[in-house]
Amino acid sequence: MADTLSTVLNVVLFLPLLGMGLLVLIPSDKPQITRRFTLLMLLVQLALTAWLYRQFSNNTAALQFETRIPWIGQWGVFYHIGLDGFNVLLVLLTAFLAPLVVAGSFNAIQKDVKLFYAMVFLIQFAMMGTFVAQDLFLFYVFWEAMLIPMFLMIGIWGGERRIYATIKFVLYTAFGSILMLAAMIYLVYSLQGSAGITSFAFSDLYKAGLPLHAQELLLGAFALSFAIKVPVFPFHTWLPDAHVEAPTPGSVILAGVMLKMGTYGFMKLGFPLFPDATQLYTPLLMTLAVISVVYGACLALVQTDIKKIIAYSSISHLGYVMLGLLSLDIVGIQGAIVQMVSHGLVAAGLFLMVGMIYERCHTRELAAYGGLAKVLPVYSVFFMVLTLASVGLPTTSGFTGEFLVLLGAYRAAWAQHLAGSSYALVLASIAVTGVVLGALYMLRFALGFLWGAERVPHGPVSDLNRRERLILGILVVSIFALGLFPDSAMQKSEMAAKQYQQLVKTSRLQAARSPATDSLLQPAAASRTGALRIISRQSGRP
Amino acid sequence: MNASLTFMSMLPEHLLLLGIVLLLAMEIVGKGARAALLVAVVAVAAAASAAFWLCMTDFSGIPFPGQFSVNHSSLVAKLIVLLLAIPVLLMSRYEFEGGEFPALLLSSLYGVCLLISSDSFLTMFLGLELMSLPVYAMVLLAYRRVESAEAALKYLVLGGAASAMFLMGVSLLYGMTGSTGISAFATGLLATDILSRAAVALILLAFFLKGAVVPFHAWAPDAYEGASVPVTAFMATIVKAGVMFAVVRLFADVPLMSPVVELVAIFPLISIVWGNIAAMKQPSLRRMIAYSSIAHAGYMFYALLGAGEGQMQAVTFYLLTYGVLNVLAFAALPPDANDAERDRLDTLRGLWHRNPFAAIMIGIAMLSLSGLPPFPGFVAKFLIFKNVLAAGYTTYAVIGLIGSYIGIYFYLRVIQVMFMTPGVVSEQVVHSLPTVPRPFGRTTVAGLGAFARAAVVICLLLTAYLMVLPGRVLAGL
Repeated sequence: MADTLSTVLNVVLFLPLLGMGLLVLIPSDKPQITRRFTLLMLLVQLALTAWLYRQFSNNTAALQFETRIPWIGQWGVFYHIGLDGFNVLLVLLTAFLAPLVVAGSFNAIQKDVKLFYAMVFLIQFAMMGTFVAQDLFLFYVFWEAMLIPMFLMIGIWGGERRIYATIKFVLYTAFGSILMLAAMIYLVYSLQGSAGITSFAFSDLYKAGLPLHAQELLLGAFALSFAIKVPVFPFHTWLPDAHVEAPTPGSVILAGVMLKMGTYGFMKLGFPLFPDATQLYTPLLMTLAVISVVYGACLALVQTDIKKIIAYSSISHLGYVMLGLLSLDIVGIQGAIVQMVSHGLVAAGLFLMVGMIYERCHTRELAAYGGLAKVLPVYSVFFMVLTLASVGLPTTSGFTGEFLVLLGAYRAAWAQHLAGSSYALVLASIAVTGVVLGALYMLRFALGFLWGAERVPHGPVSDLNRRERLILGILVVSIFALGLFPDSAMQKSEMAAKQYQQLVKTSRLQAARSPATDSLLQPAAASRTGALRIISRQSGRP
Repeated sequence: MNASLTFMSMLPEHLLLLGIVLLLAMEIVGKGARAALLVAVVAVAAAASAAFWLCMTDFSGIPFPGQFSVNHSSLVAKLIVLLLAIPVLLMSRYEFEGGEFPALLLSSLYGVCLLISSDSFLTMFLGLELMSLPVYAMVLLAYRRVESAEAALKYLVLGGAASAMFLMGVSLLYGMTGSTGISAFATGLLATDILSRAAVALILLAFFLKGAVVPFHAWAPDAYEGASVPVTAFMATIVKAGVMFAVVRLFADVPLMSPVVELVAIFPLISIVWGNIAAMKQPSLRRMIAYSSIAHAGYMFYALLGAGEGQMQAVTFYLLTYGVLNVLAFAALPPDANDAERDRLDTLRGLWHRNPFAAIMIGIAMLSLSGLPPFPGFVAKFLIFKNVLAAGYTTYAVIGLIGSYIGIYFYLRVIQVMFMTPGVVSEQVVHSLPTVPRPFGRTTVAGLGAFARAAVVICLLLTAYLMVLPGRVLAGL
């Protein structure tokens, strides 16, 4: 059974690549077949992922459905993938959003349809790969591979300033990555020096003991790369440009999944690899997170372009994720994970809705719209639901995420306050204003959009069709499902949250191998010798 | 060493020589202009197979002690340059007729093979000159353009200057050590007296000139632009490979010490940064590749900083990927009546709409040269910087990586021009069929001929192999 499931995970990963290969066979003058074929492939991927999600066991922190094959033997690089509590929800989110993205782009993309869906497949492959990779080299390859299809997607199908936006996007992200590359090589060589093994496996790198100054530099390099991706203030300026110029599907992928790679990177690599430096810089990182929350919300409040409002709101919402991760409180970490998924659903929904209105009215100026509630009743209902989810109304997923993050942040901050340090308490209190500001900018948006005098550019327009209702219906149902029953999702990630907490709290300053981390990593090692596929684990370690 | 082993160890060279003799004979008889290319391709393919076979059987031998030796790594190096020569020959089909180009190319290849196997400075000089002289003539083959005469002259004069410096350095070394073997260079590296240092510096500067390292790079953009596309591809890949293999041979197993470390780190570092900056503003692909190859020469000299056994592997893998990708980019360039216009970025505007296949191929080559994963250029660059970091030169590695980051921009610019600007389908841009008489068949407008496609497919297969199974390739080096 375990073997079958790890095969399924490989299939899930490579299915988009297969889809891209088959796309070549479809004639260019049959765009409808291309669209349906892409949708079908991604639905198959979703079905398989859902099956894996159901089979995923909550009771172990070990990797599940693991595959480990030597790739570049001499360097100790493995093709090593698997699911754990860190990535299982994000993998499901990636697979879940892709068919919606494709279905939502049936009308929006009319130019070079085949190339477009080839890019969708490539992005999907790279994003899946980034999440499931358990080897730093593999992770880096997937992480960077994502850039190129996104570069083309914004650059070919984007708006007027698309070339500026897409080059800015690539140059920003690549700058972070190049330093991460240097840090990665340095890290692996330090591990070789301290533990005597050449390995890129995450589980081995967690054991690397480093002096503090090295940890600081390496954390700086990793954090820069991830912070640009999230994005955290002050590295956020590429995001509004990329979002505004990207075609709707590009925006949805960007906001829905790609931004989570940054926070996932922090959770899986940045903080646990360098615990002592993380502890040292928590005040700084937390301050940046809180600035992101408040500053993003303030900027969203004054935007006139509806895509920009949602783009800045993303910066604000992801600030909460950072706050939750840095609180090191189990509730806060769990909240951060829920918030990642929740933001993926809500932002995807909002960008899809903006795309739908843009297809009809050809403008993104907020001032050009008004009174849509009368003209487009169904659209308005969906829009209101998503707005409230973004604000964080109880029963929606947005509430669960933000509430848990703030609760966790307060719990940790209060403990620190009692211990004599109050900065965290101050920061957590400032972060709460983000919730109020969030309500303010989203309701301003909805007010101008749905109520007031009737203004419909290029009207009269038709309300949502069946396809669009279905897409949004599915999203709204999932938002309520996560809001009302967050338990099942949280149970999946609970072990990972604990593992993360323990990894970041355990100092690895002195000893290369402290007993605490070893016992923590035992389950992973145990499962490896079990029924899972291991091919010559030793061969890569001369 | 008996005669048959001597013969065997030079089998690739002998096959090349056979090809050259046949080509010359055919020229004299005045027949077989049509068959010249075929003969050349067969000779190179046979030489490559011979190198591959010798490589697989782990052959090693010293046919001329102290002058010429053959071992695994030199066979791999020969295999790489011979493999790269095949697509270059194939793509020349649309530029040149008759036997001049294949004969010159094979002679130059012979020189590269000599260079790779040389054990003494005499053989090395012989190889260098045999490699360079035909290339001066090859640049001039595009004589229908005024620039090519200028390019050839510049290349010739600076090549001559490099040879003079090389000889001066060698004679100084000979004076100090009484030997012309390449081990004299190692002795010179370790010595601290002024003459030895001068000798080492002169030899190194000669290679900087040949390899186009800043500030000795100025000839490269003009020479690359003035030559026709297959010749540029040859210069950018095979000639560069010959130079780099010779350099690695000199530096093998020598611990680098202070003044030399700075010499092989700082000039290449400036090369990386300046090459990548200057490439941003170039109007044509050939000039851009020239500057990019200046930067790539910087990375390869960087590999010398790495530990002994890793140097050869890193440089070999780098030259293989870099060569394959450069040839891929040049082979995929759609033909044009006007050779000078062929690779201008303005001509490439909107190429995706006219010729998607060519646009995707050039795109893959550009992304890979920029070193972005998952393309093989990344693994090559990773290997070099890994070695540099492992040897403890953290600062150089980080600055070099940031320099390589600058390069991403101009590679992306080519993609932007091809994919993101609307295709201009006017008469001025889509030129009519080439006016130069073509010996066989004809190419379609803005399309690739069958030979160019074959060249592209060869490069593409190699790229895919390097991308999916880099571990296998590395294990074989």
